[in-house]
Amino acid sequence: MKEIVIKKPELLAPAGDLERLKIALLYGADAVYIGGSVFGLRANAANFTLKEIKKGVTYAHSLGKKVYVTVNIVLHNKEAKELLDYLKALDKIGVDAIIVSDPAIIKVAKDNTNLEIHLSTQQSTLNYEAVEFWKKQGVSRIVLARETTKKEIEDIINKVDIEIETFIHGAMCSSISGRCVLSNFLTARDSNRGGCSQVCRWDFKLLSENLKPIEGEKDFTFCTKDLSMLTHIKEMIDMGISSFKIEGRMRSIYYIATVVGVYRKAIDKYYNSNENYEYNEKYEKMLRECANRDSVPQFFNNINDETCQYYNGRMEVSNQDFLGVVLEYDDELKLATIEQRNYFKKGDLVEFFGPNNDIIEYQIDKILDIDNNLIDVVRHPRQIVKIKIDKKLYKNDMMKKLK
Amino acid sequence: MTKIIATLKTKEKNLELLKYIDAVIIGIDGYSINLPFNYNVDEIEEAISFFNLHNKEVFVFLNKNFRNDELDDLKYILNRLDNLNINGIVYYDIAIVNLKEKLGLNIELIWGQEHMTTNSYTINYWYEYGVKYTLISSEITLDEVLEIKNNTNSKLIVQLFGYIPMFNSLRHVVKNYKRQFKLIDESKINYIEKEDKIYPIIDNKDGTVVYSSNIINAIEESMIMNENNIDYILLNSFNIEAEKFIEVCKLFKNVDKNNVSEYNIRIKEMFNNTDKGFLYKETIYKVKE
Repeated sequence: MKEIVIKKPELLAPAGDLERLKIALLYGADAVYIGGSVFGLRANAANFTLKEIKKGVTYAHSLGKKVYVTVNIVLHNKEAKELLDYLKALDKIGVDAIIVSDPAIIKVAKDNTNLEIHLSTQQSTLNYEAVEFWKKQGVSRIVLARETTKKEIEDIINKVDIEIETFIHGAMCSSISGRCVLSNFLTARDSNRGGCSQVCRWDFKLLSENLKPIEGEKDFTFCTKDLSMLTHIKEMIDMGISSFKIEGRMRSIYYIATVVGVYRKAIDKYYNSNENYEYNEKYEKMLRECANRDSVPQFFNNINDETCQYYNGRMEVSNQDFLGVVLEYDDELKLATIEQRNYFKKGDLVEFFGPNNDIIEYQIDKILDIDNNLIDVVRHPRQIVKIKIDKKLYKNDMMKKLK
Repeated sequence: MTKIIATLKTKEKNLELLKYIDAVIIGIDGYSINLPFNYNVDEIEEAISFFNLHNKEVFVFLNKNFRNDELDDLKYILNRLDNLNINGIVYYDIAIVNLKEKLGLNIELIWGQEHMTTNSYTINYWYEYGVKYTLISSEITLDEVLEIKNNTNSKLIVQLFGYIPMFNSLRHVVKNYKRQFKLIDESKINYIEKEDKIYPIIDNKDGTVVYSSNIINAIEESMIMNENNIDYILLNSFNIEAEKFIEVCKLFKNVDKNNVSEYNIRIKEMFNNTDKGFLYKETIYKVKE
């Protein structure tokens, strides 16, 4: 059994575009994972051109942080032809690793580039024998299957000397990752090439073997609650997991700021003063409010029963809590310039949060428009206004509705 | 000559079926998923001997995802199978590749990561690793199958008849639904319905599997497979009545250019939900540029 040295885990965040990349890093992510315009598993996210990847890498490296690029599609022959040039370009840009599920891509990368390789969760790696195999192939990190339990993760870390990455927050596949082509069959969109249409969130009628309806109060669905590991952060750090991954390359900047910010604070608080660490329910509330979906630890505790399923319909309510982003703060005039994201008005109770502040609660009093006229409501998307507030705010702080 | 592999419906020693097939895929309880039935560990030697006696090739599905605490059992079964006369093991979990090397086994492996076996480059990656067979993904086109054949030495297995597994989960989604809403139903197989299509769904101790709504029937394409030296075609008996399945095997065995239209019609008459799967249907994956 190897000796486990507990290092501070990396906090790894998703970024669907450059704006989200910057927000994720500003709010405390140590690294981000992004998709290029080809070979990634989120074909419908905005994704990055090579030029944008370069910008993102330059920005991240200027902060001493990292960028990983997903190259995790399952290849078909016709796509493979472009692969070599793409990997060489990523290598030249200096991305910190690629995330891969198809071993042919591992081989091309090993033979032709110096790229570090992480194995995607699409390989659904669930045991130490498989981890050992991939290590021998030159993979430096394994993103474990989402179904691994705490005990299994511990055993893998004890038996194989390799970086282990696990998910800590976000949506879950209902299937074993990689073993689902519902999307292919029901919508002709290839789930293993980035086209997943989330059929597992649809409602179906369940029938008996005699084709008689079996009807509950809600329709049948595969849909699962989201994952949230906030209550287990302490254990996960002690286990020696190398990287904590947040799911959601298609999520908003508000979601990314909230989730990254909360986990950053939780990790820092435990790691820096583990004797005095206390679980913070306020953080849990923030996570719950920003996602609008129930979340549970799922397989980590070896639980995959009905309490992990989500029967409340496919559509999540659009999040109206996110009111605006701080663009700048004038220390002398005590004025915060805000870009609106949802309707708000004079008298509203709001919270500001950001990487440099604890949560600031505030009742909106004076609002000025761009010409410095007093106004009562801010109803136009992306409208720029100023708010009088004595407490100092910072660029990229978020303003949300106080509940 | 392309060989015919069939999955088995029961442990019944069916000599009639053996007349029309060259090989069988068998499963072992606790190790195999997505099959109509599995033998228990104590039955496999006798079953394999039976197929050996009739000169049928035997492939064993060890295609579940294994947890750490199942690895000792996996080593046991691999060692045991290594001493039996089988043609290969179809694997999903990469642990099997690692264990074959560590245990020094001579057994042949078949790369069977069902939806990932989509290109010749990855097939050749595994081939160089000693994996000489591939169970080809059912989600690629006929042209892609033939292109792969032209670019690999791996022996290929292509499913041309039957329901196709399209979802595997370690969750018990049917059981969970019934428990959540306190529903009583003892069905061994259920169906889910959407937009007038029904999909078989099975929730057992290994988790949940969902099958395609339609039965792939590519008897016409079986001749193209033969012309292009595809090594095996797979006929899946899941959810097909035993007699009809034998009839299907017989038609695939005897099909030629003179009778193919007639045989195709006969299969369509037997089943009202056949299609060609993805053989002529390319999937989209980039919806917007």
